[in-house]
Amino acid sequence: MSEQILSVNSAAIGFDDAEPLIEGVELRLREGEIVGLTGRSGIGKTTLIRTCAGLIPPLSGSISFAGAPLAGKARGEVGLIPQRLGLIQHQTVGYNVLMGALPRAKWYQSAFSLPSAEMRESTRNAVEAVGLQDKILTSVNSLSGGQQRRVAIARAMVQSPKLVLADECLGELDAETAKGIINLLRDLANDGTSILIVDHNPVRARTFCDRVLQLRGKRLVELGDEEQDATPPLPVLRRPEQ
Amino acid sequence: MSDTSRVVQIFLKRPMIRVALVLSVLSVLVASHLRITLSRLGDASSNLRVITQEAWPPDFSVVTDRASWAYPPCELQTDWMCSPAVVGMTQTLEIAFLATILGMVLSLPLAAASATNLAPPLMAQSIRQLLAALRVLPSLIWALIFVILVGIGPLAGVLAMTMYSVGYLGKLQYEALEGVSREPLEVARTMGLPRWQVARFFAIPEAANSLLSQMLFMFEYNVRHGSVVGLVGAGGIGWYMQYYLEPFKLYDRVLALIIVMYVVVIAIDQVSLRIRRRFIEDEPMRPKWKQVFLPWTDG
Repeated sequence: MSEQILSVNSAAIGFDDAEPLIEGVELRLREGEIVGLTGRSGIGKTTLIRTCAGLIPPLSGSISFAGAPLAGKARGEVGLIPQRLGLIQHQTVGYNVLMGALPRAKWYQSAFSLPSAEMRESTRNAVEAVGLQDKILTSVNSLSGGQQRRVAIARAMVQSPKLVLADECLGELDAETAKGIINLLRDLANDGTSILIVDHNPVRARTFCDRVLQLRGKRLVELGDEEQDATPPLPVLRRPEQ
Repeated sequence: MSDTSRVVQIFLKRPMIRVALVLSVLSVLVASHLRITLSRLGDASSNLRVITQEAWPPDFSVVTDRASWAYPPCELQTDWMCSPAVVGMTQTLEIAFLATILGMVLSLPLAAASATNLAPPLMAQSIRQLLAALRVLPSLIWALIFVILVGIGPLAGVLAMTMYSVGYLGKLQYEALEGVSREPLEVARTMGLPRWQVARFFAIPEAANSLLSQMLFMFEYNVRHGSVVGLVGAGGIGWYMQYYLEPFKLYDRVLALIIVMYVVVIAIDQVSLRIRRRFIEDEPMRPKWKQVFLPWTDG
């Protein structure tokens, strides 16, 4: 049986000085599993992701990572792909991807900016895997939105964490580009990484996620097969008749 | 109610007019407290006439003649290269350069340790107080202190300007670091990186354009103020001005030195402004040192 990577137990999620955004959160992620998280805008998906990343403490309840408290996670075991990707805009693709290898750098390698041969090699491999080998020395701010997302995924690949938390990394992408990103995430999961991904599109989420969770009101619920099938397709916008 | 009083009432209803009136009254009160009178300005105009007569025309022998008394001694063969203007301006630029580099090296870690998004609150507040203390004294006072400590010469200038640069650059830098996007820092924190790595590899590169621009601004500032610290013996062109002012009162030579300094400072300001604009206003890009030293190239 595969290892349980993330476990959120009876947690209330929100900020100190405000009402909880989500209550009674029960969430389990197993090794290599992709779990989708959907819900309307502003309902607390990003706050839940940030809480699972350890950036915001839960108001109550507990979060454990690989059977131990989340705060004790080892360096590099959790990766985050924020909504706006968190890339360093003035730096190259290579630099941004290499940052994923930083958690395993020895102190002198990072102090003197001397990445090891293994770090450089894994960076090159990840950049190749996302198809950006000809852009390795290009500033990320001159890349398209889809290419920037691939850089963020390559950074996560180099990090090779046990858990990736991805916040809307498929948003505003055309179908073809989104498919490419989904394939990369699938490859990451096949290597044993668990992925919790926010996607505002439940129809798309259920095509590539093992399970889809939905935030409804203040509750996190798992969509059953019937519910997932019953999820209405996205409305098709038509040009008004002339 | 008469028309005049109605006009005055309408006039006083405007907030801007009320504020201007209050400020005017306050200015008059402050001026009288400082014993500032117009008759003193009359004295100044007569002094100005004397100085102008003695200073004009400027004596440009300061650009051509060798200054045998230059400190440190100039050992070049060509006379104009050892003239007070060239030696003094070169020293001023060298002092400004060293002070800016040292200031940058020392202020960057302090700025990272005082940025509230990178450091614990107590540490950030303590280091901010240290930076504020360094800024309290202007570079001229620092120069006086270091002239007493290490004696007359460029070393006192470099140390004085460095101290001020650390305080001033540190404040600009921690504000730039606090302004970086939250998301790259959160990526680093989620990875579990220590604070110094978050600052070194995420925050500083993200703020690189602003930091480079601030360093150039500090160099401009240090060149301008390099002349002032020279007046108290801390080297640079100001020291040569002081040499002519006391006891010789050779205003024509001082004016020539001021003109030389003006031309150099304007040239540096223009070059620096162009480079800084590239970093700040143009499409964001990775700063390249080639662009710093050869701003006219496209690469």
